[in-house]
Amino acid sequence: MSETMTAETADHPGARPAANERGRANHKASSIEMQGLHKRFGRDTVALDGVDLDIRAGEFFTLLGPSGCGKTTLLRILAGLEEPDAGSLVVGGKNITETPPHQRSVNTVFQSYALFPHLSVRENLAFGLKMRGMPAAERHTKVDEIADFIKLGDLVDRHVDQLSGGQRQRIALARALICEPDVLLLDEPLSALDAGLRSQLQVELLRVQKRLGMTFVFVTHDQQEAMVMSDRIAVLNGGTIQQVGAPREVYERPVNAFVARFMGHDNLYTISARKSDRLITALGELTAEDAGNGELLLIRPETLDLLPGAVEGPNHLTATVAERLYRGSHAEFRLAIGNTTLQATVNNRGRHLPEVGETVTVAVAPEDLVTLHE
Amino acid sequence: MRKRTLARGLAGIWWVTLFFLYAPLFVIVLFSFNSANSTAVFENFSLAWYRRLFGNEQIINAFGNSLVLAVSSSIIALVIGCLIGYGMYRHRHRKLGWLIVLIYLPIVLPDIVFGISEMTFFVQIHDWTGLLQPGLGTMIIAHVTFQIPFVALIVYSRFVGLDPTLFEAAKDLYASPIKRVVHFMVPTIKPALISAFFLSFTLSIDDFVISFFTAGPESATLPIYIWSAIKKGVTPEINAIATLMIGAVAMAAIFSMLFNRQGRR
Repeated sequence: MSETMTAETADHPGARPAANERGRANHKASSIEMQGLHKRFGRDTVALDGVDLDIRAGEFFTLLGPSGCGKTTLLRILAGLEEPDAGSLVVGGKNITETPPHQRSVNTVFQSYALFPHLSVRENLAFGLKMRGMPAAERHTKVDEIADFIKLGDLVDRHVDQLSGGQRQRIALARALICEPDVLLLDEPLSALDAGLRSQLQVELLRVQKRLGMTFVFVTHDQQEAMVMSDRIAVLNGGTIQQVGAPREVYERPVNAFVARFMGHDNLYTISARKSDRLITALGELTAEDAGNGELLLIRPETLDLLPGAVEGPNHLTATVAERLYRGSHAEFRLAIGNTTLQATVNNRGRHLPEVGETVTVAVAPEDLVTLHE
Repeated sequence: MRKRTLARGLAGIWWVTLFFLYAPLFVIVLFSFNSANSTAVFENFSLAWYRRLFGNEQIINAFGNSLVLAVSSSIIALVIGCLIGYGMYRHRHRKLGWLIVLIYLPIVLPDIVFGISEMTFFVQIHDWTGLLQPGLGTMIIAHVTFQIPFVALIVYSRFVGLDPTLFEAAKDLYASPIKRVVHFMVPTIKPALISAFFLSFTLSIDDFVISFFTAGPESATLPIYIWSAIKKGVTPEINAIATLMIGAVAMAAIFSMLFNRQGRR
């Protein structure tokens, strides 16, 4: 769990790209305000149960959650493909709750790509412009421009069924971008691709978004992907928003057990007693600093230090190595402490990595402890 | 060894089947070029029967009727069947069991039952209202009714084979409802439409039983003419008509197949 690097290292968050960059970045971005969105399917299935959400102009915003959490329904409401039962949707200051999809300046990159099989790649790219009544010559120029921008090369003159998955994905992205919408929606666009291509396209997608400064709303169930890509993330569960924040915030300070588990955390312990900053859990007694008043203690595996042997000290726990997973750059440990276990991740800096059965001491920094609610 | 015998046996069934399917057609085509007035002994190659055929006004009329009937009924069936096929697709998630049976019924119903009931129905309406005088009009209605199920099913299966998000992509890319029909739906199912048209055309040209019961005195089609002519015995002239029909139907069938294959590409 050391891959917490976010887009911030590559690009300053929120920084607007230079206005003259390829002449494309001057596109105006729109903010989105959602208020009290409700949606149910049939009688019993509640897809959205009161969603209030503000998305800033030019933001790469991700809706993250397990399947059935409402993230796709929310995206479809933004696209106009689904009508909310209640609530309002304002994009760029305009209330478009009732506007049909073909009249919204919102475009979608679909999970299945949805390229028209009866059209060539070029005609697919020009479809939106043609429907909006742009003359053929102008459309041709626009297609060449976007092909250059997304680096499609000679793909433009192929037939749709001659394309690979990754190529289809890029055509689908280009087909949506060419319309220069106020907001671009992406419905798990990378989920059908293999891991290598996927991370390559993640980077590409991120660069495109930064260069255009367009508002992107991205749906995924993959928390790693969400952290890499997003300026901010909304975690959804059961049709409600659990937490909204920057990737570091959501990962390092999850507000509840659901968010913590969904972000990949396993080290959650019920606090049985607390005396100011001293927390008693199944692990023993630990001193925390500024940990909040939740009833669960979260310990991130990568904040732990392992010392060989039993070493007495403040916030030191004596443990036995139950399992070691060597991963090259780092190693993951499952440690037995009393009747419970603790996960720890240690960077491989060439030093001694404890073996299974070895007694170690876990050193916990008070400021790394976080408490949260169930 | 045993495997080889089995394979040979299966191949044998195939060749015997082909023989019984195509030998009679071959004989008819062959004897249509016979110079003698015989359907048993082939003398010399000749186009005499074809010349006689094109000089026969009754045949030319019947051919014209067949063509008008096939083209107009196929066009009408295409439009209505297409709408029904789309409707079936749109409402495919509801329970449609009985509706599907309603659509299928004319396909499985014996033609003779269908023909007789159409005739009775048309005669009654004619008695009450004076409308629906037996003739080309009633034949077109009858043909359209048996063509519609085929068109609807072809169109429906084409729509079912599409990625449903294509409809959403069209909406998302600024296509209004009318533009969606013109620029997305019709072009997408075009191969199915062409294939359905040729199939309807073939069914109509082919049909004898239903045409026979719904025809008027002036509206004999080629099959009806052949049937009445054959009462005087099979002449090489009939062979010539049959040969032309084989050619026409084969062409329609090939077109239908080609376009359908293109659509499935």
